[in-house]
Amino acid sequence: MTKETMLYTRDLIFSAIIRVCHWLRALSIVALVITGFYIAWPFLVAPQSSDVLVQGWIRMAHEIFGFILVAVTLARAYLFFFSKNNIERRSIKDVISPKAWFTQLKAYLWMGKAPHSGAYGPLQFVTYMGISVAAFFMCVTGLVLYANVYHLGLGGLLWEPSAWITQMMGGLAVVRLWHHYITWVFIIFVLIHVYMAVWMGIRFKHNSVDSIVSGYDYHPHHDEHEGK
Amino acid sequence: MDTHAALYEQGLARIASLRKLAPRKSKTLQQVMEDHGITRRDFMKWSASISAMLALPLPFSTLVAEAAEVADRVPLLWIQLAECTGCSESLLRASTPDVSTLIFDYVSLEYQETLMAAAGWQAEENLENAMRDNHGKYLLAFEGAVPTANNGAFLTVGCKGHTGLEIAKKAAEGAAAIISVGTCAAFGGVQAAAPNPTGAQGIHTIVDRPVINLGGCPPSEVNIVGTLMYFIMFGKLPALDMFNRPKWAYGARVHDNCERRGHFDAGEFVEEFGDQAAKDGYCLYKVGCKGPYTYNNCPTERFNAHTSWPVLAGHGCIGCSEPDFWDTMRDFEKPLGQQILHGLDADADTVGAVILGVTAVGIGAHAIGSIFAGKHEDK
Repeated sequence: MTKETMLYTRDLIFSAIIRVCHWLRALSIVALVITGFYIAWPFLVAPQSSDVLVQGWIRMAHEIFGFILVAVTLARAYLFFFSKNNIERRSIKDVISPKAWFTQLKAYLWMGKAPHSGAYGPLQFVTYMGISVAAFFMCVTGLVLYANVYHLGLGGLLWEPSAWITQMMGGLAVVRLWHHYITWVFIIFVLIHVYMAVWMGIRFKHNSVDSIVSGYDYHPHHDEHEGK
Repeated sequence: MDTHAALYEQGLARIASLRKLAPRKSKTLQQVMEDHGITRRDFMKWSASISAMLALPLPFSTLVAEAAEVADRVPLLWIQLAECTGCSESLLRASTPDVSTLIFDYVSLEYQETLMAAAGWQAEENLENAMRDNHGKYLLAFEGAVPTANNGAFLTVGCKGHTGLEIAKKAAEGAAAIISVGTCAAFGGVQAAAPNPTGAQGIHTIVDRPVINLGGCPPSEVNIVGTLMYFIMFGKLPALDMFNRPKWAYGARVHDNCERRGHFDAGEFVEEFGDQAAKDGYCLYKVGCKGPYTYNNCPTERFNAHTSWPVLAGHGCIGCSEPDFWDTMRDFEKPLGQQILHGLDADADTVGAVILGVTAVGIGAHAIGSIFAGKHEDK
């Protein structure tokens, strides 16, 4: 057993609202994938009484979590662009720098350290951007399908834009098919995402699993006269 | 004046103007109906049901009746392109011809290849005369898609060898209104299914003016006649939906008004054809019903003089009134989520699971690599 004494600084990476958004999004994605697959292929045996609306309740859950995802997707987009703290936006610098990409990919292959101008690495940033676009797509197609189930209130309000999107996509069947396909993007993303978060924590001691809960990341402290 | 009153006035004016035109049939509608044993009472019931179907209030039923009487003043050209005549048959082959069928017969049908006696040069002459004499006034119905590849050479009709594309464009020039009857004329239908070698398309893509699309393979006779009646009554197009289908017929999904909808919400499904659930009339979603993605009035209007429709007969909806249904709605006896993807011989969930598995293997390899890569020290 060896013991080292090092000084670390504690830096706030994720504000409370971003952490809340993350976990709400995680919760709604898990719930939506499960209820969504159920709606695609209803596998539960029907109850004895037809007064128990199995399909109806599961659809209701799917819609409630769907609306949570819609809210989080909108809030998150706003925060990304207009948040006072620019730690997320700073990562764009790495995304447009080929050198940063090269260093990042090397870091994934166990060579050197990842570049971090902001909160994310370049590949990470692009992936999250893609997932946000996918979430936006799922929200839009989901709302189109919703407008066909509830014709009054919000559904009624969404009817005209939904009809336009349905027409653009070539019919409601196409909307529903793509809503199903893109589900898999989230499933595959979650697996990679959890692995990468844990792996970064083990290899670089920057545990984002920790920071997405506590909000803080830790960096070794260097005296100012040493340079960095 | 409220909208309905204004519409009623418009209808009265339109019928008055039609009445001034000379009838094109020797017999009046009343005589024709008497010949077929249809009573005045039957006729009034029909008028009331047509007004209800068009979402018009009851007073309009007298307008429908009057419009039916003057239907022989409206010239109708019915052009058949790449089609199977199923839509015409839907109207004509009713075992008990009702008023709808009679009206179709009574409308001044100037050209209809299935019904006319003329053939060859005579037929061609009839078509040319009809288009010339009624220029700007005739109602034009299309049945069948237009092949557009190779300049339309995949379809030539008649002794002069005109392509369907030429005929359709020429006929559309002089039409007062255009109706695409059936999914082929509306969206291309089975002829337009991938890979669509003949470039078959719906009529609306080759004419630059509004076309009423009556999806359905075939559309029910009431949807065809209802659209005719609307035009005769008001001389204009009805309110149309996203794919230019009349809202009164295609405003709701099959799923919305399905008699088995309660079983869907309760989670009671047919697992396979012939099982107890099928005998009990449970929901057909799991055996491929596409009612949730299909806009049509089949559950309320049904077919063959309101006798039955596919779901009542025990098979799911195949979405035949939707664009590209042959491609987007397959496989007809599986729900959409289990659609077999072209060229992959697997459904989306299998493909997704395989990619997920490959990802897991990749992650495993990376994790093992990390064990041997040695430690990274923060400096």
